[in-house]
Amino acid sequence: MHEGLVVFVRAIIAFFSLLIFARILGKEQISQLTFFDYVLGITIGSIAATLTTDLTSRAWSHWVGLITWAALGLLMEYMCMKSRYVAKCLEGEPTIVIMNGKIMENALKKMEFRVSDVLVLLRSKDIFDISEVDFAIIEPNGQLSVLKKPEYENVKAKDLNIQKPASGISSEIIYDGILIEENLRQLKKDKAWLMDQLKKKGISSVSEVFLATLNKGGSLYIDKYDDHIQKPLDVGDFKGPY
Amino acid sequence: MRTFLVRAIPIFALALFVLVMLSNSFLKGPITKDDDIKESIEKVIDNVKEGQWEEADRNTDSLSKAWKKVAHRMQFSAEKNEIEDFTTCIARLRGAIQMQDKSNAIIELYEAYEHWVDIGK
Repeated sequence: MHEGLVVFVRAIIAFFSLLIFARILGKEQISQLTFFDYVLGITIGSIAATLTTDLTSRAWSHWVGLITWAALGLLMEYMCMKSRYVAKCLEGEPTIVIMNGKIMENALKKMEFRVSDVLVLLRSKDIFDISEVDFAIIEPNGQLSVLKKPEYENVKAKDLNIQKPASGISSEIIYDGILIEENLRQLKKDKAWLMDQLKKKGISSVSEVFLATLNKGGSLYIDKYDDHIQKPLDVGDFKGPY
Repeated sequence: MRTFLVRAIPIFALALFVLVMLSNSFLKGPITKDDDIKESIEKVIDNVKEGQWEEADRNTDSLSKAWKKVAHRMQFSAEKNEIEDFTTCIARLRGAIQMQDKSNAIIELYEAYEHWVDIGK
């Protein structure tokens, strides 16, 4: 028995099976994972690892375990999507931990959260003073959503009665020295216009540009390969290997 | 066409994996004339029972050769332990035949047969 060869073949089976199942299951972003999704991912990964290296049992039995976990995960996802009630039971629901500026001690106790945990989550949201918070909700994925008191909200253009043109999403029009004509056409511009803009910045060819983006508001960003920076600023605080 | 490929490639890949993992049912054989493990074991059992030790030795050689062939093609769908246990049984059988030890030879043969049945099950 060529153990290395068998492990190699099993690794291929486990890798691509995992990839396919993850593509089917993994619609949600990592940051949106609930605790159960996290455990599900770890378990499926662990079964795949055992499938690869545990030669004392057949690959088939591990693979059946893998597909069963993936199928159950998919079933849970489907049930949560179809029934709000099931979703609440399985995924939990958002819990208000600060209401009208007051900490809900009972809710915290129920969720086994300490006030210090809430303060940590608030700081990660750039809130260092709890008195700024009107409402804080712990989401099923463990993240904290915060609504500040009106007096601590950032001033918006609407508050100042200022009209701002919509900037839209910027699109790449040159990427790695290559012109992306489709994006340029979508923004209703042509190559002649772009070359004119490049010439104004002292650029004679598209190949000199590393990245150029343009938004609907007409704001053009250009970064050349040659940045004319002799010594980049070093932000490290001690000498490292590089 | 693109949608078809996006769906067909994973389905084909999974089907291929299942085929490789369950291939023992048809790779267990016999596929050629000289890789019938069950028949080889039965032959050696008969030889040992009748005390034909030279014939038993020759048939153990062919059993060993057949086993090497089958183990090679079954390794992706069978358990390592069962394969190793079967190989050990053949080695012990050789010793028992050399010493003309009927009871030990029969024990090893029936154990080998049990391993053969269990491989890839």
